Amino acid sequence: MTNIIEISGITKTFGSHVAVDNLSLAVPEGSIYGFIGPNGSGKTTTIRMIMNILYPDNGSIRIFGEEQTGSNIGRIGYLPEERGLYRKMKLRELIQFHGELKKVPNPGKEADYWLKKFDLEPWAKKKVETLSKGMSQKVQFIVTIIDKPAIIILDEPFSGLDPVNAEVIREVILDLRKSGSTVIFSTHDMSVAEKMCDFIFMIYKGKKVLDGTLQSIKDQYGQDTLLLQTDLGSAALDDIDGIDRINDFGQQQEVRLLPGTDPQKILEQVILRARISRFEMSSPSLEDIFIRIARPEKNNSHE
Amino acid sequence: MNKTLVIAKREYRAAVRTKGFLITLLLLPIFMGGGFIVMAITKDKVDTTDKRIAVVDQSGRLGENLKHRAEERNARDIKDSVTGVKKFPAYYIDLITPDVTDLNGQKLKLSDEVRNKKINAFVQIGPDVIHPQPGKEQSRICYFSENSLMDETQNWIGYVLNDKIREIRVAEIGILPEKVRDLFYWVNMEGMGLISQDTRTGDIKAARKSDVLQTIMVPYILMFLMFMTLMMSAIPLLQAVMEEKSERIAEVLLGSVSPTQFMMGKVIGGLAVSLTTTGIYILGGVFSIKAMGMGDIIPYHVLPWFFAYMLLNIIMTGCMFAAMGSTCNDSKDAQAIQFPAMLPLIIPMFVMMPVIQNPLGSFATTMSLIPPFTPMLMLVRQATQVTIPIWQPIAGLLGVLIFTLLSVWIGGRIFRSCIIMHGKRPKMGLLFKQLMKG
Repeated sequence: MTNIIEISGITKTFGSHVAVDNLSLAVPEGSIYGFIGPNGSGKTTTIRMIMNILYPDNGSIRIFGEEQTGSNIGRIGYLPEERGLYRKMKLRELIQFHGELKKVPNPGKEADYWLKKFDLEPWAKKKVETLSKGMSQKVQFIVTIIDKPAIIILDEPFSGLDPVNAEVIREVILDLRKSGSTVIFSTHDMSVAEKMCDFIFMIYKGKKVLDGTLQSIKDQYGQDTLLLQTDLGSAALDDIDGIDRINDFGQQQEVRLLPGTDPQKILEQVILRARISRFEMSSPSLEDIFIRIARPEKNNSHE
Repeated sequence: MNKTLVIAKREYRAAVRTKGFLITLLLLPIFMGGGFIVMAITKDKVDTTDKRIAVVDQSGRLGENLKHRAEERNARDIKDSVTGVKKFPAYYIDLITPDVTDLNGQKLKLSDEVRNKKINAFVQIGPDVIHPQPGKEQSRICYFSENSLMDETQNWIGYVLNDKIREIRVAEIGILPEKVRDLFYWVNMEGMGLISQDTRTGDIKAARKSDVLQTIMVPYILMFLMFMTLMMSAIPLLQAVMEEKSERIAEVLLGSVSPTQFMMGKVIGGLAVSLTTTGIYILGGVFSIKAMGMGDIIPYHVLPWFFAYMLLNIIMTGCMFAAMGSTCNDSKDAQAIQFPAMLPLIIPMFVMMPVIQNPLGSFATTMSLIPPFTPMLMLVRQATQVTIPIWQPIAGLLGVLIFTLLSVWIGGRIFRSCIIMHGKRPKMGLLFKQLMKG
């Protein structure tokens, strides 16, 4: 598999703040690559540099095997994190306008196709300002992918969408990937990242902290996590030794064990207190890994 | 289609299809011509209410004559000789004996009568007006009224009194007044345009009498038109870019186009809007002026310059305003920057009159060769009836061209680095750094 995007050693500073620090990354063609990281960690800055909207201070970005100079942004669909549309334009005209900008052969027809696909036909002649937030999210997605670009970069594509609309967008993303597009998206929803991405890249304080397939990332952390479900909830784990941290989801607890702890010992204690409906050793979830990296200061607490 | 043009097309349609555009298109000529129209209408509407004037004649030799001349005039001059319609007010003179003991008290009383509308004004004729001592109180003639500057009556009285004073002086040196009647006939000098030759027929065209219409209105209208087109095309870019930035439309577009394409698309869209409006006005103006039979006042030779200057001015100003818009985060920022940004357009309006009055003077020449002012001021000078040395408009145009290219370059760089930068508005120093770094 060839790499469609190759980033090597890029750094970007704003004043004294280092937003992206010596970052390297290779995105294979046809993959779905998830960008995760806390707010302000450098995701958007990295994406903007890929888009040639910002220029790295150091390092290089190669896209389609060529140095990024901005000449190839026509082949990239980009959905920024904060996005706006011309509010006074009519919906179909707006989609057609973006189609023309992306040199779609028949922008009007294409606009009709996508309006139908996203159930927006009744609004085709209405002004953008009359749309609900979810609808304009869908419109923004349409104008990003209207020309079925070779690379699709989506900054938080699912934020603010209800499950039905998120489903429609997910389907389109997967369809585009099937037809050969490479997809990069950033998200705060770890379950989406786990389910959709071939590769996951995590950036924290401008530095790359994770990069690889979900499995390879989880393998780094081993089977140190206990998934527990009892009729007592987290109270079943009170005062038990060997626990590093509990992610309490109410019905279920995700328990990180201290190195060297025998899960059998914990099972013995819990079984005396509560009815167990689930007791499973597994590798940590992506969410837990994210929290371990992004909240190191809390790692030692038991809450 | 070229991406820049796609943006320009959208800008153009967004601007032209609004109600605001149509309203401005209609209202602009009214604003522009309003003053002139009112002047033209009121010019012939003379106030014909009769005027009553009190005269305190301390010299004792002028009052009677004034009263007599006023009666003559009332009988002879105030009505149209054919229709009998009253054209001018009648003047009634009341002679008041000067109160030697309390002249100021008398003047106060008369002033109160003016305020109470019993009389319209009063005149005080000093005792020594026939043989005046320059600067002396005794040698003055004063006209007291509520509005003593803009008063036809005052002029008439002044003329009649001086006429009589001259007559008395001439009589005193023993010459018969009839013999020196021509002595005081003032021959007015009339301002004329130059003689020209018709290039086709070879006929010599008679010089036209210069009038206000041509010397002031033609340059004024062209300059105003340029100013208004800028107001409609380039200046709104500041607000529009600011909005696109704050509503985060800019970054979406930057996914498809480069910042330079984006900015130039907007500027070209604005340009197309102004070509539409000026096209309508100039065609409309030419047709209506021709229909009024005044076709020869249209300065056809200036029109190509007008469009050349306008084109460059809109690009120059448009790029600057777009760039400044990109540094603003909200309308407060935009308002703060708008007035200083408009100075290069306002200054030519301020200095327009001196430039029209003396188009060949060194002030006019210098000002019109400063690139930001050139489009308006050089145009004004060319639209006057004076012949400007041909190197000046050419040098001016070259200067504007260089300045325009510079604006595109500087504007593009600022725009590119500021359009997605949110938070605090960048300081001048930072802007300059970005300008250098790109």
